[in-house]
Amino acid sequence: MSAFRRDKKEEEEGSGNPFQNIEKTTVLQETRTFNDTPVNPRKCTHILTKILYLLNQGEQLSTTEATEAFFAMTKLFQSRDVILRRMVYLGIKELSAIAEDLIIVTSSLTKDMTGKEDLYRAAAIRALCSITDVTTLQGIERYMKQAIVDRNSAVSSAALVSSLHLTKIAGDVVKRWVNEVQEAVNSDSVMVQYHALGVLYHIRKSDRLAVNKLVAKLSHMSLKSPYAVCMLIRIACKLLEDEDSSGGGSSDSPLFEFIESCLRHKSEMVIYEAAHAIVNLRRTTSRELAPAVSVLQLFCSSPKPTLRFAAVRTLNKVAMSHPEAVTACNLDLENLITDSNRSVATLAITTLLKTGAESSVDRLMKQIASFVSEISDEFKIVVVQAIRALCLKFPRKHSVLMNFLSAMLRDEGGLEYKASIADTIITIIEENPEAKETGLAHLCEFIEDCEHTSLAVRILHLLGKEGPRTKQPSRYIRFIYNRVILENAPVRAAAVAAMAQFGAACPDLLPNIQVLLARCQMDTDDEVRDRATYYYSILETQDKPLANHYIVEGLQVSIPSLERALHQYTMNPTDVPFDMKCVPLAAVPSEEIVNPSAKGGQADGMLISAASSGSKVLAVAATVSREESYAEKLRSVPELVAFGPLFRSSEPVELTESETEYVVRCIKHSFPQHLVLQFDCVNTLSDQLLENVRVEVETPTGYQLVQEIPCPRLSYSETGTAYLVFQFPEELGATVGTFNATLKFLVKDCDPATGLPDSDEGYDDEYMLEDFEVTLGDQIQKVTKANFGAAWEEAGATHCELADTYSLSNMGTLEEAVKNIISFLGMQPVERSDRIPEGKSSHTLLLAGVFRGGYEILVQVKLALAAAVTMQLTVRSTNPEVAELVTSAVG
Amino acid sequence: MGFWDKLVNLLGLKKKEVNILVVGLNNSGKSTIINHFKNEEEKLPEIVPTVGFNVEKFKNRNVGFTAFDMSGQGRYRDLWEHYYKDCQGVVFVIDSSDRLRLVVVREELDLLLQHPDISGRRFPVLFFANKMDVRDALSSVKIAAGLGLERILDKPWHICASNALTGEGLQEGVEWLTQQVREVVSNRS
Ligand SMILES: Nc1nc2c(ncn2[C@@H]2O[C@H](COP(=O)(O)OP(=O)(O)OP(=O)(O)O)[C@@H](O)[C@H]2O)c(=O)[nH]1
Ligand SMILES: [Mg+2]
Repeated sequence: MSAFRRDKKEEEEGSGNPFQNIEKTTVLQETRTFNDTPVNPRKCTHILTKILYLLNQGEQLSTTEATEAFFAMTKLFQSRDVILRRMVYLGIKELSAIAEDLIIVTSSLTKDMTGKEDLYRAAAIRALCSITDVTTLQGIERYMKQAIVDRNSAVSSAALVSSLHLTKIAGDVVKRWVNEVQEAVNSDSVMVQYHALGVLYHIRKSDRLAVNKLVAKLSHMSLKSPYAVCMLIRIACKLLEDEDSSGGGSSDSPLFEFIESCLRHKSEMVIYEAAHAIVNLRRTTSRELAPAVSVLQLFCSSPKPTLRFAAVRTLNKVAMSHPEAVTACNLDLENLITDSNRSVATLAITTLLKTGAESSVDRLMKQIASFVSEISDEFKIVVVQAIRALCLKFPRKHSVLMNFLSAMLRDEGGLEYKASIADTIITIIEENPEAKETGLAHLCEFIEDCEHTSLAVRILHLLGKEGPRTKQPSRYIRFIYNRVILENAPVRAAAVAAMAQFGAACPDLLPNIQVLLARCQMDTDDEVRDRATYYYSILETQDKPLANHYIVEGLQVSIPSLERALHQYTMNPTDVPFDMKCVPLAAVPSEEIVNPSAKGGQADGMLISAASSGSKVLAVAATVSREESYAEKLRSVPELVAFGPLFRSSEPVELTESETEYVVRCIKHSFPQHLVLQFDCVNTLSDQLLENVRVEVETPTGYQLVQEIPCPRLSYSETGTAYLVFQFPEELGATVGTFNATLKFLVKDCDPATGLPDSDEGYDDEYMLEDFEVTLGDQIQKVTKANFGAAWEEAGATHCELADTYSLSNMGTLEEAVKNIISFLGMQPVERSDRIPEGKSSHTLLLAGVFRGGYEILVQVKLALAAAVTMQLTVRSTNPEVAELVTSAVG
Repeated sequence: MGFWDKLVNLLGLKKKEVNILVVGLNNSGKSTIINHFKNEEEKLPEIVPTVGFNVEKFKNRNVGFTAFDMSGQGRYRDLWEHYYKDCQGVVFVIDSSDRLRLVVVREELDLLLQHPDISGRRFPVLFFANKMDVRDALSSVKIAAGLGLERILDKPWHICASNALTGEGLQEGVEWLTQQVREVVSNRS
């Protein structure tokens, strides 16, 4: 039997892919055939197929190559062979991103799109739109309008989908097609209706009122297309979410009613979409959840595997937020454990793990173990995530689960899978001190044989951080040093850094560490040698504060800014040593940024994009601190360069309601001595052109206006920026206070269609804005401390200290107090002290930050809960005035 | 070539296919001229300025013409040359009422004739002095002189005055072209 199978496999491979051996240069040469007259359609079609194949395999063409192939392809328009022509369209589309002078086929495509041959029309539209830019779009506009309302549904759909793509390059032009699109929404074709709704929503989406009306109208119309209904559900959800986040949501919203009514739709797709929507809405209560869950429950026993999969996958997600709601489906889920589709089975088990009791864990884990090798990495990650949740829920089970994880860690698997296991182990270690030693031991074992450099580096870093604080630090040294002997350069460098941590924190290990570091100074790699030398020299001094600053805590500045500052320093030769204080600090990535599923993804996507499951590692790499992205923008304003490096930027503060004539938001930028207020203004009136737009503010006393940069011109729907620069008051106590703001500008009435002013004359006008505060937090940058205890102790000797006791009468819980203090002071909670173990009545919160000008602040907050929360606050800072400001700000 | 083919060729019975390139400044009437030659059912109801090019087919006396009708707008003229190599005839259209741009026409014509893919090759070049109906239009003789057509020695050429709106003069031109194409083909065999 097995022999037979192998034969069959070989046979398949043999008959395999006819394009396997083709090669770019040969194929490009063959395109010369396109110039032959008469055209040989069969031959040319075959060559085009090869080009498309290559491009889809990721083969790169240079601009010249692509342009040559493209022009050769244009000759094929003389053939009337339908298949060939459609291949040409595909070729044009594929090359449109690379080749030049694409415009040459415009007339030919316009002719095909409006011609009699139906087989050409839709495809020609798609090709045409892929080569069109803003300048040529005008020329084809009327054909597009006609095509959108064409009787042929393929043509209409193609035009609609292309319109959607065109909004990226010419949103305003597409907006003018709204009447045609509206007509297409009434189409009998399910696809046309769906696509038309997509375009219509896209045109309207920035206007919430219009979208609301759209949904209200269409939800009563009973759309024919189930796809369109699904989209309508998604739009309704987005509106609901927006309503909720702006606080205006009511529980009996007609939008929610509409979604709920879709649970009784005749199409399964719509029913699922509605259930999925209800389950994912943040506002959904357990009572509202019930009908959605029972629909999913029904799907669990559907004969269609896709429905079973969709249902169990959704239930799996609900199980995290509302485990009790899913318990009702436990029986159905148990049945799915033996589903022949392993993906369904995995999801069923992991759902049960989330909802089940502690007693069922062992049984379910055994069941997973029986087929874990049969499922793909993606589903293994689902299993890992379930285990992570279990560990947090049942801390006592950590040894069973940890063993399971380490077995998985030893199996084959890709980076993402392995990283998720390592992540989980790390989380468990952090959450559960009892699991720490076992967890570290598993990780040590894992790096002995780990093929993923990035993962090994991460684990070594963790060992360096956690190892020195365990009962027996010396046992980790061997594992770490082994890496120095056996691994590639990046891993060796990480190992050197990890060893240095032990040297800095464990005096009794220091002599041994120095011996090892000395050996590493002979390494073949520059980076490894440099690090070894660096750490060796610092440790050699036996200077504890020095080691604290340069080994335990590491760099706190933003690396891109450091690079820029160093570059500038080397450009102008000088005897003054480089001053680290002039480099902006790196903002500590907040949880929100780390987890992209929270916000980011949704705004840009056409609709509510599914929560992304991007792993933590990747997300961190992609974040740029808020300051860095603003600094980039501020650097482009020449007037602002003189004020030194940007220290901290605030979150944007809205100074207007969202649906007013002018929308203004303010971002407060702190520089060492200056406060720069950035006002982003949007003009939402299509019949007004604004000029000389500026904001006037009344400041607390002590602020001095240094510079005003107005926005010269602000036309309809554009965003313009005006700046104000103030010198901070000398006395720090005067820096916090309220600012009253007024928007001032010159109005020129204009024609809404063209945006051109009716006359050169304008009139002055102003608009009241809301007040805003400049706070202590605006002047403090968050920093982390890897070892707060050491830093605090050291600061006791070098910093000044202020302490005070307060009673926080308006706060009822420790959590609330911690949250408020953190947001008020704008400092970074360190050593996870922002988490309060359950059932505690006292807690110590540790905060770290730097005040503009480079003054370090460390804060220790002791909280105790009696009738109200009492708080003892101790501040240590390098600047007494700053310490005073912190204590007085809290009071 | 067999006897029978030769005979067919001599009698001009065999269907010949040629590619011709239609060039000239924008608004000179190229697309209108080509549209005139097409079958009734294939004619376009309206002519708009060409962007890039269009391929059109028509027949005259058993010769099938595939015409690449190029756009004459300034920024597209550089793209003509991509189609020089495989043409077996050029139709050059001039707006005879546009005295102002006659120098531009001459410049473009010179560039065309000096192009490596054109110079030294022998194929017919047909000039239409179009829009003869417009008052003040230059005569075909004046245009020939203005463009210095007498300098073209290595190619057979011919100029006729035309009115693409009525079709006047167009047939004469295309008859000449058909004749030339036949000669070239039978000379080659
Ligand atoms: N009076 C007159 N008008 C003509 C004649 N031939 C063409 N036209 C007009 O001239 C204008 C331009 O004609 P087209 O055929 O588009 O010119 P074209 O050379 O193809 O232009 P491009 O495609 O832009 O290079 C149209 O409005 C025609 O109606 C003619 O013989 N006499
Ligand atoms: Mg034309």
